Amino acid sequence: MLTLYRPGTSWFYRAPAGPKAFALLLVVLGVSLLPSTYSCAALAGGVTVLAYLVSGVGLVELGRQVVGVRWIIVITLAFQVLFVPMEPAIANTARVTAAIVIAALLVLTTRVADLLDALERGLRPFIRFGLDPARIALVLAVAITTVPVLTRLAVGVREAQRARGVRAGLVSFVIPFLVVSLKHADELGDALTARGVN
Amino acid sequence: MSDHTTTPAKQTGATSASGAAATSAGTGAAGTAAAAGNATSAASAGSASSTTSPASARPTGQSRLRIDATDIARIAVFAAIMAVLGLPAGIAVGSVPITAQTLGVMLAGAILGAWRGALSMVVFLVLVAIGLPLLAGGHGGIGVFVGPSAGYLFGWIIGAFVVGAIVHAAGRKLTWLRTSIGVVIGGIVVVYAVGIPVQAAVTRLPLGQTAVQSLIFIPGDLIKAVIAVAITMTLVRAYPRAFRSRSRA
Repeated sequence: MLTLYRPGTSWFYRAPAGPKAFALLLVVLGVSLLPSTYSCAALAGGVTVLAYLVSGVGLVELGRQVVGVRWIIVITLAFQVLFVPMEPAIANTARVTAAIVIAALLVLTTRVADLLDALERGLRPFIRFGLDPARIALVLAVAITTVPVLTRLAVGVREAQRARGVRAGLVSFVIPFLVVSLKHADELGDALTARGVN
Repeated sequence: MSDHTTTPAKQTGATSASGAAATSAGTGAAGTAAAAGNATSAASAGSASSTTSPASARPTGQSRLRIDATDIARIAVFAAIMAVLGLPAGIAVGSVPITAQTLGVMLAGAILGAWRGALSMVVFLVLVAIGLPLLAGGHGGIGVFVGPSAGYLFGWIIGAFVVGAIVHAAGRKLTWLRTSIGVVIGGIVVVYAVGIPVQAAVTRLPLGQTAVQSLIFIPGDLIKAVIAVAITMTLVRAYPRAFRSRSRA
C-alpha cells in the first residue's frame, strides 16, 4: 500500500522512531504555543525551514508539504481575516501551517512498520492497566492488510453493478459493499480463531 | 504491502489476514449466494419492523470490553471500510466525489455498537497517524492531529460510541426512531461538540465564529445521517449477522 514515507538516508531517517516522535512532538508543541505576532510567525517559519534542513529532508519536500495543505491554509486564513485583525490572522495561519508541516516529518522519514513497533513498545507500560499491546498490534496489522482486500471487494461490487446496469449511487453501493465486507470480517474472525487467537 | 510484514510480531496477523482473504476470494460466488440466502430467510422469517435473530441474546453493556477474535476482525475490517469510504474513486455520486467518511462514523456505531464502533475509529485514526494516507483527499500522518480539524477526528471516536450506545440502547432490536436519534446526536452533535472547541483553540478564533464557520458542513452531514439510517435499517434485514454480538454464539 502507498504510504506517506519518502525513502532517504540522512541521520534523521536512521534515528529510532520513539525518540524521533517525542522530539518532533516537543517542537510542534513549542511552535503551537507561540503568541500571535508577526515576529513569532517568522520564528515558526524559521523553525520549520531549519527542521527540514537539519533533518536532511530538504526544502523541496517542504514545498511539497506546504502545497499539500494549501486548502487548510486558504480556509484558515480566509476566516481569520474575516474575524480578527491582519497581524493575528497571518500569525495564526503561519503557526498552524508550521505545526502541521513539522509534524509531517515523522511519517515522511519513518516506515509504517517501524512506527507500529514503536507504538507497541510505547504501550508496554500500560499493560498494568489492562491494555494488551500485542493484541493492539495484531488489530492494526490486520486492519492494514484488510484495506487492499476491501478495496478489491469495492471494485468488484462496482463492476458487478455496472454489468447489471445499476445506476451509481451512495446507498446502492454501500449496502452490498458492507455485506461483503462484514462477511469478510466474519471469515477473518474464524481464520483468527483457527490460528489460536481468542 | 511489503513494508508492514517485516517484523515477526506482525507476521502472524498479516498471514492470517491474507489467508482469510484468499479463502474469501476462492469462495466468493458461494459466499454471495449464502448471503443472499440469509437475506431471503430473514426477510421471510419476520416482518420488516421486528427483525429479531434467534441466538445469542445478550444485554448490552455486559462483558463489553472482552475483545475476542471476532471483535478483532470486525474492528479491523470497519477501520478498513473507513479507508475505502475515503477513496476518491470509491464512490462518486454522479461526477461529484463526496467524502463518505463521516457516514462511516455513523455506520460504525450503528452496526458494531458503542465499544467496537469507537475502537474501530481508534484503529483507523492510528493507521492515519502512522502514515497511511487514508483520510479523504489522501491526507494522513501526525500533522492532521495538530491541525484545525484534529478535534473532529477525535470526535469520531466519541461520536461512534454515542451512536452505538443510543442505537443499541434496547438490545439488538433496532427501530427507525432510535437509529435516527442516535445517528444525529452521535454522528453530528457530538462530533461538532468536540471538533469546534479544538478548532477554536488551534486557530485562536472565538468559539462562536468557529461554530459559524463549521455550519457549512451541516447540510451535507444531515444528508449523510439520512443515508446512514437507511443503510442501517436495510442492513438489519440484508445481513442480520452483522448486528449479532457473537457470530458463533
